[in-house]
Amino acid sequence: MTIRRRLTLWYAGILIASLLVIGLGTYQEISEQLRHSHRREPAAHALDETGELIFQVGLPAVLLGLLGGWWLTRRALAPVARLTAAVEKIQECNLREPLSRTGNGDELDRLTEVFNAMAVRLDGSFNRIREFTLHASHELKTPLTVLRGETETALRDESLSPAERERCASMLDELRRLTQIVDGLTLLAKADAGQIALQWETVRLDELVSDNFADAQILAETHDIKVALARCEEVSVRGDRHRLRQLLLNLADNAIKYNQPQGRVTMNLRRADGFAEFAIANTGAGIPPEILPRVFDRFFRGDSAHGNTIDGCGLGLSIAQWIVSAHAGTIRITSEPAKLTTVAVQIPVCAPQGTPA
Amino acid sequence: MRVLVVEDERKTAWFVRKALQAEGFAVDACPNGDDALAALQSTPFDAVVLDIMLPGRDGLSVLRQLRERKNSVPVLLLSARGEVGERVEGLNAGADDYLPKPFELAELIARVRALTRRGGENKSTVLRVADLTLDTLTRKAQRGASEIELTVREYRLLEFLMRSAGRLCGRMMILEKVWDYGFDPGTNLVDVYVRRLREKIDAHFETKLLHTVRGSGYVLKETP
Repeated sequence: MTIRRRLTLWYAGILIASLLVIGLGTYQEISEQLRHSHRREPAAHALDETGELIFQVGLPAVLLGLLGGWWLTRRALAPVARLTAAVEKIQECNLREPLSRTGNGDELDRLTEVFNAMAVRLDGSFNRIREFTLHASHELKTPLTVLRGETETALRDESLSPAERERCASMLDELRRLTQIVDGLTLLAKADAGQIALQWETVRLDELVSDNFADAQILAETHDIKVALARCEEVSVRGDRHRLRQLLLNLADNAIKYNQPQGRVTMNLRRADGFAEFAIANTGAGIPPEILPRVFDRFFRGDSAHGNTIDGCGLGLSIAQWIVSAHAGTIRITSEPAKLTTVAVQIPVCAPQGTPA
Repeated sequence: MRVLVVEDERKTAWFVRKALQAEGFAVDACPNGDDALAALQSTPFDAVVLDIMLPGRDGLSVLRQLRERKNSVPVLLLSARGEVGERVEGLNAGADDYLPKPFELAELIARVRALTRRGGENKSTVLRVADLTLDTLTRKAQRGASEIELTVREYRLLEFLMRSAGRLCGRMMILEKVWDYGFDPGTNLVDVYVRRLREKIDAHFETKLLHTVRGSGYVLKETP
């Protein structure tokens, strides 16, 4: 029950109670006076009239009180509703925009001020985390470069025994993986800080998709998976060619990696209603509904038993999500476990004259 | 061939220098931009490996200064930032190539080699390695007497490997030249394509031509 309704009800209750008290008091007073006088006939009549009067005046008074109370609480609570609506719109990205204040110095204005101060502190914390990730990934690059260089130098030593050589090569594989993680982390940290400039141009998405289809077929072959391009309609978007290719390859790679032998991957590109819609479906084990909302989280891997057998840096879908949102698009994932898992991407199509949308 | 390595990180400078020396280059190294400009003024180099993040004058500024002085020595930029935008900026400033850190040594060597050979690349229309030939006009590949069917991508991969025959080709370099990817897609795309290509050109022949260098990349040559 809302505060407004609760207050109105209380108010109505008090109103009725006070009316009853007044009514009862008046009634008793009049009947007392009448008992002391000796005229009987009109006495009963006067009592009846009083009762009627109380009823006739009391009922509208209660109704008016109810309406008035409702209006009053509504008026008193309107700033709270406005504040709620404003706070609801707060996201990580607009923390710096302060909520507008009335400036009249009342309790709610003070509350707004406190909210604004809290948003500033939160923004500071987010910034510190972003900067930390960015610095950490940069700091990791120098020792990684040295490690890789030294390991490769060691591997070039002709006098190495086969076992030593194998150990060095295996170390190099892990270093490559570490590099991928650091690269992905740097990319996302920079994207968060708004430090990545996309190279905008008009891109024929259908050409990128059919190119990607060819690569996906080859990647899928070793896993005994069939890839199909069900539809590929001609459509152009305004975007960064490299990033879009990265996105498509990333999604195709996932659809193959998380599939099962003899599985299928189906790609679909269509033009719909101002959008280019690319959908890629796979027949893998699927994603349980409870973890579906978390698949775009960084380093999130479904069940660990699954994650161990599949390599990758755990940042693929986060990167995909960033690329899509940088193109003002949306990405959704739906899954019917053990049947079909589909990732659908929508990107606004190019404006006719090639002006950015 | 004389190469100048401009890198302030001591260990990185050391192994880059060592690796290039092992490949037969004469290597000079300096840890900052001003020293590099002075060295480039007094000594002719065949290539420069230039880190962007240097103390004092940074790599891009060194590069711009160099081009202003009409010095056209081939420059390979190294950067710990590794962004497409930065790569474009570097190439616009007059760099000839760009390599993000952390890089593979094999990759660096292959790129320095390519820079110092610029212009001297195999430009003939028919490429040949042992009994494998590739006609770049008709786009036909042949091993011995049998013709080999290639997809467009396989053709581009084979052409790249044959043009760099005998030299190690790193994965990143292959991704860049054959796929035009400016990023590491984190898939084993290159390995899968090389495996397919190997099946087509090597499977039925005694002498293997396409070799894997564990941890580094691939090389197309007659002797392992």
